[in-house]
This record gives sequence, structure tokens and C-alpha cells, in this order.
Amino acid sequence: MRNESHRRVVITGLGAISPLGIGAEALWQGLREGRSGIGPLRHPDAARLKLKIAAQVPASFDPAANIDAHTLPLLDRTSAFALQSAREAINQSGIDFKHDDLGRRTAVVVGTGVGGENTQDEQSRRIYAENAQRAHPLTIVRLMTNASASHISIAYGLRGPSFAVASACASANHAIIQAAQMIRYGMADAAITGGTEACLTYGAIRAWEAMRILADDTCRPFSANRRGLVLGEGAAIFVLESLEHAQARGAVILAELAGSGMTADASDIVMPSADGAASAMSQALADAGLAPQDIDYINAHGTGTLANDSSETRAIHLAFGADASRLAVSSTKSMHGHALGASGALELVAVIGALRDNVVPPTANLDQADPACDLDYVPNTAREMPVRAVLSNSFAFGGLNAVLALTRAP
Amino acid sequence: MTDSIQQPIFEMIAKQAKVDVGTITPESTLKDLGVASLDAIELIFDIEEHFNINFPDQQGANFDSDTAQSLVDAVHKALEQKAASGEGNA
Repeated sequence: MRNESHRRVVITGLGAISPLGIGAEALWQGLREGRSGIGPLRHPDAARLKLKIAAQVPASFDPAANIDAHTLPLLDRTSAFALQSAREAINQSGIDFKHDDLGRRTAVVVGTGVGGENTQDEQSRRIYAENAQRAHPLTIVRLMTNASASHISIAYGLRGPSFAVASACASANHAIIQAAQMIRYGMADAAITGGTEACLTYGAIRAWEAMRILADDTCRPFSANRRGLVLGEGAAIFVLESLEHAQARGAVILAELAGSGMTADASDIVMPSADGAASAMSQALADAGLAPQDIDYINAHGTGTLANDSSETRAIHLAFGADASRLAVSSTKSMHGHALGASGALELVAVIGALRDNVVPPTANLDQADPACDLDYVPNTAREMPVRAVLSNSFAFGGLNAVLALTRAP
Repeated sequence: MTDSIQQPIFEMIAKQAKVDVGTITPESTLKDLGVASLDAIELIFDIEEHFNINFPDQQGANFDSDTAQSLVDAVHKALEQKAASGEGNA
């Protein structure tokens, strides 16, 4: 049963910048066609790095094309991704923040794992490697983790609760849940939310290399021959509104954000626990008033690491019981890579597309069955099927789990 | 030669496992010694730093099942490759 004591939350706009192109539609079309955004690493220091592949936003991305010359110098790449994606989402939703002073009742919550990493890396290089006497004066405002949220707030006059959420690879889902809760319980009527990440710097890549969990071929979630994750980048930003607000202004509703679940493993700093993930999925179902048999599709966390994919499979069995084998489960990270704090947001674009078009995007590069991964992962080719309700999983280093439950537009 | 390689490796394993170095045998696996997950990766890092070598990546492999002897062998191999290339392999 849906809990009638709170307001329902719907999604009315989406925007994205991803390795599959500029715009949410480019991302969704790429995913349903099974195209890969993974390619040779483009980096000035690529020759010195072990890492050879990544899922990067196309080199054609030009922040100056859409962001004014006054704002541009204030932005780290992370914020440029977020601001441009927010613009796309807001334009698409047709929402007017001046009408009835809606800006006063609009929240901005943006998830990011590390924030302005490009700025941090560049200034550290100046100071430590080049012995520069001073950092760039805009260093702090560019690198602060809340910069993306603040720029969206400033650009549109959004004066409700605004902040960043950081929970590593679950940042976007935690942020989206936070924004939805504020609408649900009346703290805001609308919210701009999602996730952004751009941390493919020399220093960050070196740090990831040292963890020895990066694939050297491609991302193969749930495949026996998987060799790790593929680092990505990008952003996806959404317009959330209360159902009555969206209906009152005649908005096109894309999907309902029906519920969510958040748990912590409280065990290991990197090794995932199936129990923690399963509890988050069960909570999301209960919160949305859905039963396991209502769900048709799970967009998995599916990083392509040895540990995640088998643990997540066990978690789905725990949460869904006999229904687990009936579900379509796919990892779109096989195509857009792992955009860390933005990944849940990129995956929400996939989930909205699946609900809208009744198409489940595939798990690319799945070519060797793993006995520890025994679900239906929709290998390599998208599947047309009725998609009534979905879960979208994000699990972070640190053992933090955040799961979204979505249903078709009411 | 063997001792100059084996001894420091065993000491680093003992330090990471928080056990007396005398308890380490060539057949001990990291898992047996309770060196799992991040501890194992940290140990690999310590060994690479000590010998100034790079182990090849082994994604999909599991350091936990490595034996002390296999680490000694891997260091020998990496040092031989480094000598053959005539330079550091950075």
C-alpha cells in the first residue's frame, strides 16, 4: 500500500552529459543500442599511466557553447557538467521558477564523489611541481564540493535547501533521495537533483591504479571474464516535483519516484555485503508500496569487479526470493563506465527510458557465464518488454547503499 | 640472493599480518594469515616500493590466495625483467 500521508514525487525533466554524448537522449539511445562509451584514455599524461581505457565525455564537449563567459571561469569541469545538464532538464520540464515565486520553494541537491578534482590536481601541480608562489584565486570556489549545487541555485534563483551529498559511488542516489524526501514532506515543491563527476586527473587515476580494480580490456559486468571497473565521468540532473504541482501546471510526467532505501553495511571499507544491499532494496520496495513481483527491471550497480557482481547477485536473491530469476537485471556501466558520484544519475536516465519505452538496456560485454552470477542480465542486446516498475541500485565504497524505486508516470 | 629477497618479503608479510616473522612459511597464503582485501593490496604496494618494481596487474585474480613463495617468485621475475630492460620499469 502506498503511504498516503506524504506527497508523491514525480520526475518532469532530465539532462545529461555522458560518454555516450551530450544530452539525456544521446545517453538513452546509446544504451538501448548497446553502444560503448569506453575508449582509449585521452589524457596529456596518458603515456605515463598504466590505465589505457576510460569512459570519457566526448572531446567535442565545449562548456563555452552553453555557459556564459562570466560564469565559465568559476567552474570546475564537474560544475560545468552539472550546470549544463541542469539547463537541459529545466528547459525540458518547462518549469518556471518565477511563477508564484517557486524559486523560494525549490531545493538543489547534487551528489558528487570528490567535487572539483581537476582544479585540485591542477593547483597541486602548480604549487608542488612547479613551485608556484600562489594558487589561482578561484581555486576554492571551483573545487568546493557544493559548487555544482550552488551554481544551479544561482543560475535559476532557487532559494530552498541547497547542498551537496557525498557518498562515493552512491552520491547521486543519496542526493536524489534527499531531494525527493524534501518534496515528500513539504519542505520544497520542486527540486533540481542528480549527480556529477569529473575526476580523471593524473593523481586520481594513479590512486585508482594502486587499488588494482581497474579493467584493462573493457567493462564486463556479471561475466566470468570480468577484470574490474572502467572509470567514467559525466553528469545527469533531474527536475523533481510533487505530483500535484506537476499536474497543476500541466507538466509532462516522465516517471514517479515512488520510494527509496538507504542502508550501511557497517562491515568492510571496500568489500560489499549482500545483506546491506538486500536491505536497501527491500526498504525501497516497502517505501514505494511495491511487492517483489511488481518489479520488472533492476538497473544494477554492476561495476564489473569480482566482488561487486557476485555480492549484488546474492543480494538480489535475498531481497526477491523466487522472483529474482524472473527479473531483468542489467548493468549499463558496461557502456557508460563508472562515473562514481554521477553513476546513479546516469543510470536513472536509463531507468526513465526503460519505463517510457518499455525497453530494458543490455549488459554489454557479457560473454562468459559465471556460476556466481546466475540472474537474467539481458546480455548484449536490449529487450523490448513491459516495464512497470524498477529498482536502481547504487553501492559505495564505505559500505553505503542507496536504492531508488520508480514506476511509470501516474 | 634468495635471502635478500625472501627475508624482507616475509618481514613485510609478517608486519601486515601482525604475526611473528618466524611463523611465515613459503606455503602460507595471505588468506591463512588474515591478510585480505585492502591489506593485501597494501602489502603489494609495500613490496613494489621496497624493490622498486611494478607487479603486472592481475585483475580478476585474488591476492588473498597468493602464497608467500608466490610473492617471492613474482619479485624475482619482476627484478629479472627490470635487469633485462636495463632500466627501472617506471
